[in-house]
Amino acid sequence: MKTRTEILASGFGGQGVVRLGQILGEAAVKQGYRVTMLKSHGTEMRGGYVRSQIVFSKEPIDSPMVESPDYFVALSLAAYKAFKHLVKDGMILYDPAFVVQLDEGLVCVQKPVPAKDMSVENFGRPVFANTIMLGVLANLVEELDPGTVLDSILHVIPKYHEENKKAFEVGYELLGKR
Amino acid sequence: MKRYLETGNFAITEGAILAGCRFFAGYPITPATELAEAMSYRLPQMGGIYIQGEDECAALHLCIGAALGGYKAMTATSGPGYILYADPYGWAIGCEIPLMILNSGRVGPVSGITGAPGQGEFYLTRYPTQGGNFETIVLAPNSAQEAMAIVVEAFYLSERFRTPVTVLADQLITDGFEDISVPENEGEMEEMGFRKWPRKINRGPEFYPATDEIDIPPVVLGHNTGALCSDWTPTEEGYDIEEVAAHHKHAYRLIYKIRNHRDLFNTLYEKTFMDDDPDLVVVSYGTPSRVVNTAVKKARQMGMKVGALRLINLWPFPDEHFTRKTKYLSVELNWDGQLVREVQRAAPKDSKINFLGTCGDLPTIPDLIEAFTKILRGQSLERRGWELEGW
Repeated sequence: MKTRTEILASGFGGQGVVRLGQILGEAAVKQGYRVTMLKSHGTEMRGGYVRSQIVFSKEPIDSPMVESPDYFVALSLAAYKAFKHLVKDGMILYDPAFVVQLDEGLVCVQKPVPAKDMSVENFGRPVFANTIMLGVLANLVEELDPGTVLDSILHVIPKYHEENKKAFEVGYELLGKR
Repeated sequence: MKRYLETGNFAITEGAILAGCRFFAGYPITPATELAEAMSYRLPQMGGIYIQGEDECAALHLCIGAALGGYKAMTATSGPGYILYADPYGWAIGCEIPLMILNSGRVGPVSGITGAPGQGEFYLTRYPTQGGNFETIVLAPNSAQEAMAIVVEAFYLSERFRTPVTVLADQLITDGFEDISVPENEGEMEEMGFRKWPRKINRGPEFYPATDEIDIPPVVLGHNTGALCSDWTPTEEGYDIEEVAAHHKHAYRLIYKIRNHRDLFNTLYEKTFMDDDPDLVVVSYGTPSRVVNTAVKKARQMGMKVGALRLINLWPFPDEHFTRKTKYLSVELNWDGQLVREVQRAAPKDSKINFLGTCGDLPTIPDLIEAFTKILRGQSLERRGWELEGW
């Protein structure tokens, strides 16, 4: 029986990779899960590599490492290339604005989430791409309650609540019904 | 109690405040910056003092001043800042000044990589200053929640032993997020096992006893103690002296007050699957130990007789865990092998000592299982990327 859920997110600094992990982690804590969220990053605030490894489980968590992600959110080509091989039974969600070259040889499911373009289209700027991706994840990750994920977004990001709510809905509806 | 998703930096800040810390001086550095930031608003809320020093050396000197005024004081940094503590750390050891010092290990040497974990200061925490003639206490947690508790313990030990205590964490602990439970009142503190004690003050006239005695309140300046608390060898009354016999007395105290009372903290370790004399003992500390624990559980399911020993008390090194002749594997976040050298020294002659190092990232479970398999088959481990002498 699966005892833990693993989510890996990676991209550039400034895309909200850490915020995304923090929001999912906070939602999981609110639902009573044990949670770890490792983050690694380079020196640059913007443009450097960033990775979040989120694990949640009803049991205490020994290894906080994501070794076989259920979901891998790839927000740069470098991140996609570095971690795609970890995904076996899970799913890769990639933003085609950044991941411009797909490995068709992978056996796992790979779904494009054009979060950056959708953010520009809906809000005139790319800053809500992260919330759109969180909407997609709230739909896909069965262990998480979508309402709790949205509450966590509004708690962690104190500004632009209306835009974030709308971005969440846009993402939530992107891949159809849960 | 309240449950949060928060960083280890937050957990350590709250732990320090629970311990009664009311003075922090530091200099921001990844991955301990958020700790300084949290202290800068939490301490004023608690009637405490936060000061940003012009550098780490100054920051620890400021902490010394605060502790000599009777404060529970601390600082926090990473490797590149910890090395700058060399001067004040020695001062604090020599004058028996209690301090809690947090070091969150990142990739080194020097600035290395900021946002990735390393364990390059295993020996540096044993010898944080020059001159020798002292013993140090170092504790290493492996999670944010445990770091909160260990920090309280470190403050407590620092006062009982009158010495700075280093808590050696890593970037994944301080920068990483985890679900954390924080007690909200004294009843919950007690329920969660947190100590509460007043900061005692030694009003003199004696400066130090030439014995291994502990539980003597730390010296404070003033109160007619006459103590100079200078960087020279002190007399028992606290005056400077350059004399070999006096130095011998002082050194004896600095070494043996800790060595002779190790039972107060050498119980800080964790053993997993160690009851049946395993064929391989995997030794680690800090965050890697969490991956080791998972790997050892998996190896047991695969029929391998492997056990895990996680050290929390790193220094003085707990030789007593290594009395059995067997195979050992030290798993560390460095490529050069530091903990492994102590294992090699402490274990019986002809024990088979192995080393698996990574840096900047944790070892993976498949890597560990492969290493266990090879060692149990009598094969030696190859070093990743280059060949080196076998351990």
